[in-house]
Amino acid sequence: MPPRSRVAPFILLAVATLAGCERRGGCTGSNCGTIVMASIAEPATLLPPSSEDVVATDIDEQLFLKLADVGMSTNTVGDEDFQPLLAQRWEWDGPLTLVFHLDPRARWQDGQPVTAADVEFTFDAYTDSAVASPFRPKLRRVASVTQRDSLTAVFRFRERYPEMFYDAVYHMRILPAHLLRSIPREQWKTAPFGRQPVGDGPFRFVRWQSAQSIELAADSTFFLGRPGVRRLIWRFTPNLQVGVTQVIADEADVREQLVTPENVARARAAPQLTLYPFRGNVYTYLCFNLRANGDTSQPHPIFGDREVRRALTMAVDRAKLVKSALGDLGKVPPGPISSLLWIWDPEIRQLPYDTAHAARILNARGWRDHDGDGVRDKNGQPLAFRILVPTTSVLRQQYARLLQEQYRAIGVHVDIDAVEFAVVVQRVGSGNFDTAVLSRGNDPSPGSGITQSWTHGGFGGSNFGRYYNPEFERLVDRAIASPTRDQARRFWQAALETINADAPGVFLYSLENIAAVHKRIENVQIRPDSWAALLRTWRIPPDRLIDRDRVER
Amino acid sequence: MTAWLVRRLVASVAIVFAVVTFVFILIHAAPGEPCIGQTGEIPDPVVCAELKQQFGLDQPLPVQYWRYLVALAHGNLGYSFSHHRWVRDDLADTIPFTLQLAGAALLLDFLLGLGLGIYQAGRVNRVPDVLLGNATLFIYSLPTFWLALILLLVFAEKLGLFPVGGPNDPILCPVVDSLYCVADRIWHLALPATTLGLVGAAGTARFQRAAMLEVATQDYVRTARAKGVPERRVVLRHQLRNALLSFITRFGLAFPFLLTGAVLIETIFAWPGMGRLAAEAILARDYSVVTATALIASTVVVLGNLLADILLGVADPRLRVRHGSDADVVTA
Repeated sequence: MPPRSRVAPFILLAVATLAGCERRGGCTGSNCGTIVMASIAEPATLLPPSSEDVVATDIDEQLFLKLADVGMSTNTVGDEDFQPLLAQRWEWDGPLTLVFHLDPRARWQDGQPVTAADVEFTFDAYTDSAVASPFRPKLRRVASVTQRDSLTAVFRFRERYPEMFYDAVYHMRILPAHLLRSIPREQWKTAPFGRQPVGDGPFRFVRWQSAQSIELAADSTFFLGRPGVRRLIWRFTPNLQVGVTQVIADEADVREQLVTPENVARARAAPQLTLYPFRGNVYTYLCFNLRANGDTSQPHPIFGDREVRRALTMAVDRAKLVKSALGDLGKVPPGPISSLLWIWDPEIRQLPYDTAHAARILNARGWRDHDGDGVRDKNGQPLAFRILVPTTSVLRQQYARLLQEQYRAIGVHVDIDAVEFAVVVQRVGSGNFDTAVLSRGNDPSPGSGITQSWTHGGFGGSNFGRYYNPEFERLVDRAIASPTRDQARRFWQAALETINADAPGVFLYSLENIAAVHKRIENVQIRPDSWAALLRTWRIPPDRLIDRDRVER
Repeated sequence: MTAWLVRRLVASVAIVFAVVTFVFILIHAAPGEPCIGQTGEIPDPVVCAELKQQFGLDQPLPVQYWRYLVALAHGNLGYSFSHHRWVRDDLADTIPFTLQLAGAALLLDFLLGLGLGIYQAGRVNRVPDVLLGNATLFIYSLPTFWLALILLLVFAEKLGLFPVGGPNDPILCPVVDSLYCVADRIWHLALPATTLGLVGAAGTARFQRAAMLEVATQDYVRTARAKGVPERRVVLRHQLRNALLSFITRFGLAFPFLLTGAVLIETIFAWPGMGRLAAEAILARDYSVVTATALIASTVVVLGNLLADILLGVADPRLRVRHGSDADVVTA
């Protein structure tokens, strides 16, 4: 027997050899692919009514079906562009009644059929305050959902409007009543179902390893057709850089958003990756608090004045900021919208970049540099404010510094408060801020996001700056009520020009997304509002399979 | 000895209680909204208020503290509102990973540190000692996160010798159920454990060198040499054994270092341990998780120091007498 000191290297060698070996599996067919996503956040739950975060939505897309879904056009008006999913067909039974006929082939993954009772149960759950679903406000115009027979669900609306169909199908994923009915609604958040869901989608749940990964397997009996790959894995990493590095190092196949030009350059240099640009659904803006910092009953001494807000907007060269910070990855938004929305139109009138005009306005409003210190002042008060920005976003911090510099050039002093995201949420929510660099996501309907963030209805909610203009709200209401896209577009344009003229914030950029996807993956279709919505159509041809595709367990 | 041990245990419980109370008050007093979860999106304040009401976070702090203590007395660590699950489940998932990382780092720290310290002491002021002394000082001076990033960049991204992050291959080894997967885990553990262990080993080497040199001038070492005992035996039997007292002290002090270091290392290497859990919970203001991780960490640190004191007593009979006579134990 060799002495102990001589055994150790052999043990190490054996371990190293084992680790270095690839375990080859035998799958060689056309459905062998495995796609690994590098995800920078982990969902809190996969229970659809409670899962608002992006990754949970991506995974739920594979597990739980909607009745129908928007098409690649992301048109939300009417029903002609919607694709059937659980509902095989639908018809209008009068102006306020929508009837869905479920596909009789649809099954829950425990073998039970999907029925109209599930649809009725789902609506009841989404609108139950005990569930506290973030989607509840979006269903406020649906009066009831009932079952006519086991495969027919009837939606009744409170009023007639162009996006009735969208509201009926987009926000709710149908839930299995037979598995959830017995669980008290207050206990849904802690129920095991949220971490071991049983769905009716193209993939079924396999395992969730906390802080590591979630694995789904293709349901080969899926009634709308077998998915193109057999396994999906979301790997969770704590930050974007690690996620991007995993894709570049070929440890993952998809990073759906690269976010910065540097990451795009890194991914472009990786030979195994293909880049897919698609419209972003987020816009970022410098939000002016129109009410006094910490006191919503008083106007803000600076931002309460519409003319000063306009001057401060004209003082910002947004195009230059986008170019220097984002390059081709961003666009200047023509209002509080992302490029996802069909109302996006660069021709919408906006305040120009004009520092001379801005200076004239400030002079006229009494903001002059009386003491020669380089900062304008009025009645002894300097024209100074603070920008609140989360430390979690390097990009937004960079923007805050660039804004600070541009404002300095016209005699406005800016301090930056870079704080944790939780602090931003608290201060913005309670009105304790002057300005903040905020990002908002849009769903495909312009109505819901703009109403929540920029109308009186959003006071105490997402209208953080407390902007209010009755004319703007009238135009928004008319746009939402317009029966056709063309009519709606005119009202949206007028509404956006109104809010642009009021300058409740500086609309800084709308991110254009670029996804990095492994080259061996074919038929990559990305729907802009939800990049993972069509994952079931992605496929890997047999001749491009790599080891991780073939692995059998 | 028993009375001393009981007193130390009571004191340990008091320290842990004080730490947890302090953390509870501090995290609740810190500004920030406790309902952001993992989304990164600004939540609707209305939904936020509903969630706070559901979890009792709208109650006055003394009421929340009392409820926390009552729950704790029943073994309930609370509910994580950012993960939608019980905190005990979060801890059950993450603690094994932290133990693996800390264990591997501790092993590297002490084996390498001890070896280097002994080697240097045997060649004091000669070239190897000077070179190693400067090298260990250099490594000891490096910020752990910086070293981690460099190792990640060089060995994972550029050379591709080690994985970028995570504890395992999610396809081949989602669970450790074979020898291959044990090797896979070790492969994934290599960079984070090396980062943590290397910095620790540099410190241990310097401590051990100093301890060995201090013992080298003792009468019993000189006597052993004078009696013609072989040098190897003098070093290992007479010198090292007595120099181990400082090593045991360092063992007690290693726990806080490993736990605080793990917060950064687990985040950088996507290692799903308790440190990363705590870091994310602090950012999300997930109060129950923060207090629970503080409870576990403070307990480990206190028990680690207690264990070191007991081991010192076992190793050094003089200290054992002092334990018995109520004297304080020398731990530094």
